[in-house]
Amino acid sequence: MSEDRSRILDLLAGGKITAEEAERLLDALDTHAGAAAEPAGPAIKGDPEPLIAALPKYLYVKVLAANGDNVDVKIPIVLVRSGLKLTSLIPPLAMDKINDTMSEHGMSVDFNNFKPEDIDELIGGLRDMEVNVDAKNGDTVRVYCA
Amino acid sequence: MNVPPLVLDLRVVRPERRPVHLWLPLFLLWPLALVLGVLALLLTMVADGVLFVLGRRYHHYTILLVRSFATLGETRGMVIRFSNEKTAVDMTVQ
Repeated sequence: MSEDRSRILDLLAGGKITAEEAERLLDALDTHAGAAAEPAGPAIKGDPEPLIAALPKYLYVKVLAANGDNVDVKIPIVLVRSGLKLTSLIPPLAMDKINDTMSEHGMSVDFNNFKPEDIDELIGGLRDMEVNVDAKNGDTVRVYCA
Repeated sequence: MNVPPLVLDLRVVRPERRPVHLWLPLFLLWPLALVLGVLALLLTMVADGVLFVLGRRYHHYTILLVRSFATLGETRGMVIRFSNEKTAVDMTVQ
């Protein structure tokens, strides 16, 4: 018998609570204990297929230039993931050159900071990402996942 | 692992010119890629072994090569379209 149950019965025996109150307290205790003892099941209950199907499959990049040039790129997310994982394996000398070249072109992204364990989180974050750029000259860039 | 790309579908359309539609069977390159890949793997394994013995921090050329092939394999489904007043190019990796 648990300590709480024993205390409730002591209160009932001492006449401090009524039988009805004791019953309610015991019921509440059982409910609480049942919830606490429930085994930890999978985070997703039921068929996970619809959830997996709802995940974005492609990264879209659409560029509409004011001069009439249109670029439309559809990249599989698995390719993005694989490419990012590949960056962690690039030799340090080559990576330094890549970072320098990127920096020269105004993109100061240090690929040394990409860690394999962060990539899944990054890919997960892409789901809600949407980038819309409307330049003064009329160029528009749209990046999103679907 | 996904199935590597099988076909590269390339269409080029230009006004007043005959449209070009190329259907490139990438699967025919697989045997060649396999032979080259095995040879490259042997070289990288030797290189990694030497670098490891020499105590170099970086000795992951074999994994880099394998992952590079895996990344190429994931290009299936990629679509690149470009168009302007003169040309329309549509490239699909299937």
